[in-house]
Amino acid sequence: MDVTSPGAERRPLERGGLGAWVDALHAMAEADLRFRYGRGSGRLLKWLLDPYALVGVYLVLVTFVLHRAGPSPGLSLACSVVPFQLVIATVTNATGAIHARKSIILNMRFDRTLIPVATVLTEIAAFTASLSLIVVMMIVYRVAPTAQILWFPLVLFVTILVALGFAFPAAIFGLWFRELRNLALSVVRTLYFVAPGLVPLSNTGGTAYDLLKLNPMTGLFESYRAIFVFDRAPHTWELLYPSLFALVLLAVGIPLYRAEQGQFAKVVE
Amino acid sequence: MTSFATKDAGVRFLFDRHRRVVTPMGARLRRGVAETWGLRGVSIEAQPGEGIALLGSSGSGKTTLLRLLAGIYLPDEGTVEVDGQIASLLSIDAGLLPPLTGRENATLLMTLGGVRRSVAIGELDDVRQNSSLDVQFERPVSSYSQGMRARLSLGVSETFGASVLLLDEVHEALDHTFRAVLEEHSHALCERGGIVVAAGHDHPMLARLCTRGIWLEDGRVRLDGAFDEVRETYLATV
Repeated sequence: MDVTSPGAERRPLERGGLGAWVDALHAMAEADLRFRYGRGSGRLLKWLLDPYALVGVYLVLVTFVLHRAGPSPGLSLACSVVPFQLVIATVTNATGAIHARKSIILNMRFDRTLIPVATVLTEIAAFTASLSLIVVMMIVYRVAPTAQILWFPLVLFVTILVALGFAFPAAIFGLWFRELRNLALSVVRTLYFVAPGLVPLSNTGGTAYDLLKLNPMTGLFESYRAIFVFDRAPHTWELLYPSLFALVLLAVGIPLYRAEQGQFAKVVE
Repeated sequence: MTSFATKDAGVRFLFDRHRRVVTPMGARLRRGVAETWGLRGVSIEAQPGEGIALLGSSGSGKTTLLRLLAGIYLPDEGTVEVDGQIASLLSIDAGLLPPLTGRENATLLMTLGGVRRSVAIGELDDVRQNSSLDVQFERPVSSYSQGMRARLSLGVSETFGASVLLLDEVHEALDHTFRAVLEEHSHALCERGGIVVAAGHDHPMLARLCTRGIWLEDGRVRLDGAFDEVRETYLATV
């Protein structure tokens, strides 16, 4: 017997437990990717070229047009642009994710927690293609991978954790303030410019150096540079601070999202 | 055994000053919030094998009640108890995503319903057969007519083994072939002990699907009884 009362979320149709939840997540992300890349042989090409269309121009500019000081400036820029692309793309899609699934929300009951997680999963699929930008920059600057690349899975995990942290509050923000979506995106985009995105943290000094470290993006960008530019292991704070920031976002965002998910159908109509 | 019951169930809608619906938490962040009850004090029980028609003018609460039973809305007061697997055809698009094929949509709907992907994939031939879509099953839903979309959704629910079928005026927008399929499906479901709840304005069709009628007015149950009796009383006031 399935009993529902105020404040109590109906349990989802439990047929396969956690496995079924993962399957549903897979199906939703797959549907998102079909939307984005279509079908047929051209979809692989679109997937590969999308990141170049989005940020490749900046890298070309820095690498081949502007002659900037510092070690491998184009690669250094890629180390900030690539992880930030996952974060900003997640926020962009998460703010519209609930409305985008209106037809399903209004027709059937399912665990709405899947929505932001599926958004992140979709963006991860897109993000993997953008990693090729780093590879291309390494080739351009003749930077060979070193043993530090073994840190990459952990750095990647932190990047995904940060994106997931943003996904839940972004989805709720998009539900509450649909008309302010662009403002939210601008605010998140600002995080790139108040972090050492264009130059490494070591190129800054004084108060700016200390203040920039407060931005969780700083640790993320610097951990990529540590591996691919500076040939060193990421500092503990570079991974720990963004992770803690993401966990705080999740600790606030998930309960908030779960409290609101029973109301989605009323709002999206 | 399939059954459902609502007890003093109510669904509340909050609006901001621009008349947009907001959530209770979202309402705290806005000024000039007003509230309306889409349903209030609704207590009904349904037993196995019943076909129930929801009657009433537009805005009377029929869709809200169907969404409450489907678990799409949660009650803001009272309780809803459902014993059975629910399938719903509450809109023409029936939750289908146009860029996906019939096969992909069926997989998505079943996995969202809690069925394991491997199980859902194994059932796809049944869905294809139940929906009578044939080669169209492999084509994007964007190329489907409304009737084909409804057939796909119904085919999924049939494969799903749903024991409660909720219909919201969708059947009224579809061709006679689909109506006949839907009627046959609904009768078979009731004979197996399932429940059909249909809202609409096509009373002759509702009479063929349902033996019981519930007249809703301003979100409350005005009359609950035999379909013909409820219909006559309702029509007398229109």
